[in-house]
Amino acid sequence: MKFTCDKSAFQKEISFAQEIISSKSAVSVVSNVYLEAQDNTLLIRATDIKLGFETRMPVEVQEPGGSTVFCDKLGGILASIPDGTIEIDQKDSRVVIKPTFKKAQFSLKTIASDQFPQLPDIDDSAYFPVPSADFKAMIAQTVFAVSDDETRYFMNGVYLERAEDGLVMVATDGRRLAFYKKALTDSLPLFKSVIVPPKVLSLILKRCPDEGQIFLAINDKNLFVKFGMYKMSTILIEGQFPNYQKVIPESQQYELRFKRSEFLEALRRVSIFVEQKSRRTFFSLAQDKVVLSSEEGDIGTAREELSCAYEGPEAVIAMNYRYIEEPLRYMDSDDVTLRFTETGRAVTVSPEPAGDYFHVLMPMQVD
Amino acid sequence: MPVYFHIDLDAFFASAEVLDRPELAGQPVIVGGSGRRGVVSTCSYEARAFGVHSAMPIAEARRLCPQGVYLPVRMERYAHLSSQVMSIFEDFTPDVIRVSIDEANLDMTGTEKLWGQPAEAAALLKTRVRTDTGLSVSIGIAPNRYVAKIASGVRKPDGLVEVPAGGEEGFMLGLPLDKIWGAGPKTQARLAELGIEDMARLRSLSAQTLEAAFGRAGGAFLYKACRGQDPGIYGSEPKSRSISTETTFERDVRDRETLESVLLGMTEELAARMYHDGHSSRTVVLKLRDGSFDTQSARETRDGPFISSRDIYEGALDLLRKKWDGRPVRLIGLGLAQLGCQGGHQDSLFEDDATRRAHKAAAVEKAVFDATRRGLGTITRARLVKPKREHPAAPDDEA
Repeated sequence: MKFTCDKSAFQKEISFAQEIISSKSAVSVVSNVYLEAQDNTLLIRATDIKLGFETRMPVEVQEPGGSTVFCDKLGGILASIPDGTIEIDQKDSRVVIKPTFKKAQFSLKTIASDQFPQLPDIDDSAYFPVPSADFKAMIAQTVFAVSDDETRYFMNGVYLERAEDGLVMVATDGRRLAFYKKALTDSLPLFKSVIVPPKVLSLILKRCPDEGQIFLAINDKNLFVKFGMYKMSTILIEGQFPNYQKVIPESQQYELRFKRSEFLEALRRVSIFVEQKSRRTFFSLAQDKVVLSSEEGDIGTAREELSCAYEGPEAVIAMNYRYIEEPLRYMDSDDVTLRFTETGRAVTVSPEPAGDYFHVLMPMQVD
Repeated sequence: MPVYFHIDLDAFFASAEVLDRPELAGQPVIVGGSGRRGVVSTCSYEARAFGVHSAMPIAEARRLCPQGVYLPVRMERYAHLSSQVMSIFEDFTPDVIRVSIDEANLDMTGTEKLWGQPAEAAALLKTRVRTDTGLSVSIGIAPNRYVAKIASGVRKPDGLVEVPAGGEEGFMLGLPLDKIWGAGPKTQARLAELGIEDMARLRSLSAQTLEAAFGRAGGAFLYKACRGQDPGIYGSEPKSRSISTETTFERDVRDRETLESVLLGMTEELAARMYHDGHSSRTVVLKLRDGSFDTQSARETRDGPFISSRDIYEGALDLLRKKWDGRPVRLIGLGLAQLGCQGGHQDSLFEDDATRRAHKAAAVEKAVFDATRRGLGTITRARLVKPKREHPAAPDDEA
């Protein structure tokens, strides 16, 4: 294998591959990135076993062939050399990387490409399009709510469901839940609901442009994603996602309306004295005002009063700081409505005016 | 006036070995990990005279004290002895914080009527421990847990140091800086670096100065510590608190039903205490002792806290099923470990029907316990009503 290419174009793809790879062991083939040069195209693959990645870029191929090289070091090399044309040349069990404009050269150990794991694949006809911007908005609004408790593995991913007239994403850690439903008029194929690990979703959020379409395909074991030149596949989380519909309150009695940015800023100030373990923050409601407060042992207290629209009875709700802060941070509306019926039962946080999503939070005990 | 005891078992592991092998008495006994990298866990006072101390590599100890008796750690035996000692403490006050296997902190406030003045109570306690287990303890008495802890370490072994109310600050002033418990080598080094050489000098510094030098938490800690105020060493949420209860049968019990009934009663008692203190727990501990005094205990920890006594009872029955092999039972005990404050408990969104029912049951129980406590009569479970005859009477007989 021998080819020349533009360093920065190559570096961009390799840095994406680096985000896929989780192993940093020089002896493991899954620490390596797979390179295959043919027909003036370079095929790049990477995997962490659960997640597969593939892309193609134009290069000038002098000798077709393929190999795998330690991705972490390759990334390091590319980051260290200036922009320009570089040459990648395989010599026996090594790959020599050299810029054409400098007297520098790097030689990197390889592992034969036939040892690289086979990535799952699916027929092109199985893919269906979803507007990228919509899909990304769904991810942004839900993925943070995924549980990282491995004993509740079935909550370690975002639930993707085909609704009658669109797509639904739900994520929960058992104490808070994020819900997003996007109505899509384009024909969506029917598929069984799946639990998608957050890693692939975060990568889509980061790497997929807002314009255009993202293509999805789903089978029993995997979710496949295509956008631009990129293809990713992820294994799905097996297990039964909890019956989320049961915890979404049908109607709630009281409403509190406030400015999102104002509330978020006050919340961050008050968070200085939030107990580290419980992160409990208090919200005392009275006619058209809310007092945010916190207390950390005998170290100190914080209190901030905000005006808001509220006409219900005086009440105190305690919530985990993170559970209220995160949705507010990711929401995109200027105004937010918080709804509840009893201070000890689920609270709903939604954009005002209502949008495609909302968040359900379980409060904490006040005393 | 608050009264706390801090109790330390003297050279515990080594003393336990001497207890089991009386011929070792008076010899330098060193208990620790075997192998090249082992360290000393505990050594007897005789060994300390050679300069051996805990956490020292065994190899170094052997160099300092070649004639010592080196023994491996028998944790199971020590744990057994420890729980015997702890249960003696629990006879003196229900409020026992087990700090570690050989240390406990007792809230003795308001026990004067029962045990006399603190020093008398402490003497009594020391005697009980010695006669029941053969071990010696050092006790520190003070108006707060922190000073009690330090006082327990001042005179060892078999010590008894009382710091009377109002004497905390004076007591601390008489100590060198390295006696400030909680100020480790790093803090000690920093103190030396700043030229703070004794307690009086430390005492003269303002809270602001200390916070500037040791950070907010560190500064506040030192400020309180050198004044003999409790900086909160056991936190507002004690790490490992437990409540327990046990019964010794007059005649050994062989039938499951009796054991289950007794457990049910104990469950109610523990639940009542737990509710009253506003605590919650998710660990239940069962203790069984047979006719030959062979004691075993087992514990089970659940994901979430026990909501009602029924939850606890189910946990207890589960342990009984696993642990009891049908041998006659002389003593049965039940406890709740790792009690925490309920404050800040976060419920789950996905509350199932069982949880909902448990919450309702707990509400009823709380009301019943509260009524009983306030002397509004006694309400109890039918199963716990003792039959008048050997066999439960038929309902029409009762009428």
